[in-house]
Amino acid sequence: MAELKRVSFEASTKDEARGVAEERLRIGRRFLRFDFNEKKSMFGFKRHYEVTATVDVDPAEYGQEILERLFRDMEIDAQITREQPSEEELHYNIETDANPVLIGRGGKTLDSIQLYLRNLLNVFVDDRLVVLVDIGGYKAERKRQLEILATKTAKEVAKTGTEARLKPMNAYERRIIHTKLADWRDVFTTSEGEKEERHLVIKPKKR
Amino acid sequence: MAVNYEKLVENLVVPLVVHPEDVEVKKLSEDEDRIVVQVLVHNDDLGRVIGRNGRIANAIRTIAYASASRQHKKITIDIDAF
Repeated sequence: MAELKRVSFEASTKDEARGVAEERLRIGRRFLRFDFNEKKSMFGFKRHYEVTATVDVDPAEYGQEILERLFRDMEIDAQITREQPSEEELHYNIETDANPVLIGRGGKTLDSIQLYLRNLLNVFVDDRLVVLVDIGGYKAERKRQLEILATKTAKEVAKTGTEARLKPMNAYERRIIHTKLADWRDVFTTSEGEKEERHLVIKPKKR
Repeated sequence: MAVNYEKLVENLVVPLVVHPEDVEVKKLSEDEDRIVVQVLVHNDDLGRVIGRNGRIANAIRTIAYASASRQHKKITIDIDAF
């Protein structure tokens, strides 16, 4: 798992230390473990603490708890499995009796769940955690469809020599198509338009 | 089935904040097809809950909206600091 955040400093009371740690890490004390090392000053009057505050949360486990509670609150039965394909990657796969609602139009709700969870869990770590959420294999299926679309359109472009403009898509989807066509000899892809309108254009290569 | 939307929203907001004791979630109104929920957080936590370009606030809204849509309702969430 990616490195958990920690901070070390000196404080004169334990309570002060908890406040300082919260401020420095921007993480609530309920998520932190404190180690206090008491130091006496030379004459033994005044004491202070060397403090280390470390995140005391397992992001993978916490992410699972958050999702479980969310679906409970939504009154949706869900099975969640998780995988950790690498140190900084976390995948959650969700199966429910209400998949279409949780995926939303064009995957919008699913994207929101993923964005929320990714932001939440990245608060706890120093490096970047890649958090992916899928529901009912939606993303895998969407990827397959996009790759079919990419291949079909690229063949058309190569044959006719005219560029083709695809519907607006999010960065993740544009990337799937871009990657799929990256090593094609007779077409190339670019993104055009801004924000909601950003879309891929498949163009013929001049020979 | 009766989803408690205040609880749903509170459970999404609280994990994001440094000051959970300062999170207040209230239902402002509810009728046949619309619910309005107000979220108040500590001023220091507002940025975290809203997110860059409002992305986290909008994610929370979208999730709550999906939940409400199962009951053919629309939900509005106002987020602000004390």
